[in-house]
Amino acid sequence: MAVLEAHAITKTFQEGRQAVPVLHGIDLSISAGEVVTLEGPSGSGKTTLLSILGCILTPTSGRVMIEDVAVGDNARAMAGVRKKSIGFVFQQFNLFPSLTARENVEYSLNIKGLKGNDARLEAERVLDDVGLGDRKNFLPRDLSGGQKQRVAVARALAGRSPLILADEPTANLDSHTGAQVLEIFRNLAKKENRALLIVTHDTKVREISDRVLRIRDGVLMD
Amino acid sequence: MAVDLARKILFHDKLRFVITVSGVAFAVTLVLVQLGLFVGLLDSATITIRKLDADIWITSKNTPNVDFANDFPESMVNRVRSVPGVGRADNLLVTFMQITLPSGAREGLMVYAMDDFARWKFPWNILSGDVADLRRGKYFLLDESAAGRFGKFGIGDYREILGQRLKIIGLTREARSFTTTPIAFMDYQLAQSLAYQMFSGRTAYIVAKLEPGADMQAALAEIRRRLPFNDVYTRDEWAAASRNYWVDSTGIGLNMYMTVFLGCLVGVVVVAQTLYTMTMEHIREFGTVKAIGGTNLDIYMILAKQAVISAVCGFSLGAAQSYAMKPLMEKVDLKLIMPPEAMAWCFAGTLVLCLASAMISFHKVAKIDPALVFRT
Ligand SMILES: Nc1ncnc2c1ncn2[C@@H]1O[C@H](COP(=O)(O)OP(=O)(O)OP(=O)(O)O)[C@@H](O)[C@H]1O
Ligand SMILES: [Mg+2]
Repeated sequence: MAVLEAHAITKTFQEGRQAVPVLHGIDLSISAGEVVTLEGPSGSGKTTLLSILGCILTPTSGRVMIEDVAVGDNARAMAGVRKKSIGFVFQQFNLFPSLTARENVEYSLNIKGLKGNDARLEAERVLDDVGLGDRKNFLPRDLSGGQKQRVAVARALAGRSPLILADEPTANLDSHTGAQVLEIFRNLAKKENRALLIVTHDTKVREISDRVLRIRDGVLMD
Repeated sequence: MAVDLARKILFHDKLRFVITVSGVAFAVTLVLVQLGLFVGLLDSATITIRKLDADIWITSKNTPNVDFANDFPESMVNRVRSVPGVGRADNLLVTFMQITLPSGAREGLMVYAMDDFARWKFPWNILSGDVADLRRGKYFLLDESAAGRFGKFGIGDYREILGQRLKIIGLTREARSFTTTPIAFMDYQLAQSLAYQMFSGRTAYIVAKLEPGADMQAALAEIRRRLPFNDVYTRDEWAAASRNYWVDSTGIGLNMYMTVFLGCLVGVVVVAQTLYTMTMEHIREFGTVKAIGGTNLDIYMILAKQAVISAVCGFSLGAAQSYAMKPLMEKVDLKLIMPPEAMAWCFAGTLVLCLASAMISFHKVAKIDPALVFRT
């Protein structure tokens, strides 16, 4: 079953009076349990596409469907879809500096509607899964880059969102640490049957993927 | 229990939190102390009116406040005594006299004089001595607060008042006038004989007590009919008139409003500024909250909660500081009165202003674009 489908996505930014076309008719589909890489040169529109697929940005035209439901184009509907169905991992980690590892994961679950003891237990479960069982009460500043990104992975996986989107998750990590994080990420996504899309420059990501998509100047290559 | 991001962010930067709370506390202290001094001063302005056990005060026409009495014939009291509903009525003399200190210096003294103080439960706080003894000679009671002005004195001491030697036979407490002139209590006849030029056969006030269940309005109307050349007040009206006189004539009202306004301004600026800076510094975090599905409302709640925490901590500290100032103020003869209603209003004001300050950041929050989470 396709968790994510995109039909004829285009995006044109308005830079003052000038129109900057970035995406030109993107079609793609990702199924549950599938790990997909999106590669492409800098400026080719990877982050823009990921933002649209993640319901953070509205496409200029075209349609995104998450779990067979078309995503509306108002902010409230999009926030609702993000809350219910999508987990994110960012290049900059974007953890909350004042929250411990567990609280970072738990807070995200709270936002997604899971509260109390259930949220705490779920947070602890995924932190154990990413191998940070002994660092649950550390603040981000006391964690290494790889550990931070593993907290971010745990945050994205917690709460069983069917779709996980990652933008350059290894770009701020050395290659060894990056490979470790990717390994954990992939295994957990597979085990829990999530659809995982990773945007990257990093050629190693290819090795853990089921499928590689290439984008150039806003067009997917075959 | 949900993760309390508001509290975590607020306490994460401890120094800033301390500064915010101090700012609010400073503003609260400013307002409470000013308010307390204001209420304290006005309390002195009316304390004798409120403590004397009378329902009705009769003054000469246009007497502005209790300290500035004018004279009228003392026989008027008989007209009041026969008014239906009036249980008892007596003359009360209130006048300024000069007292000569052992050093030779001259000071002012506010004298309250009656025939029978006990009937009027006046003075209300007698530390030593008996008002019944006042009739027996050239005696007076003096308020202990006079020590600041007149130097140390004790029971049995003599002081010269308007050229005559009078003996101190008792001490009172809390009897202070708005002007901080010390108050003394003496026999009516004695006071009349000392101030004979003004008060021979004349009095300053008539005070009246109604019979239980008597109709106040009817009694007032009848007294006004019988004494057309006097003003007739209920106790509360007369207290209000005395209080308003000082508020209007000295500008302490305006002064208080200005300080309260300044206090509020300081508080708002401090809180608005910290919450705004905090919002700006946490834009990325708030963007992340939105990216994972949080709404503007979720973030407004964070800011509102931080404002409320700052308000509660700041108010508590400010109130504690204000209370700590009480004994200090008393040392310099200033009374600080903070009635519970005033405290409640001040707390409510602190909360409202802190929340309003938080709202200044709301438009920034609404504009946060969750897409910023992808930016490096
Ligand atoms: N908000 C925006 N307004 C205007 N132009 C934009 C905006 N966001 C992206 N662009 C433009 O769209 C193009 C694609 O940007 P995008 O960030 O998607 O590229 P990318 O493939 O992620 O690049 P990189 O590998 O460097 O991250 C770029 O030319 C960029 O300048
Ligand atoms: Mg990018």
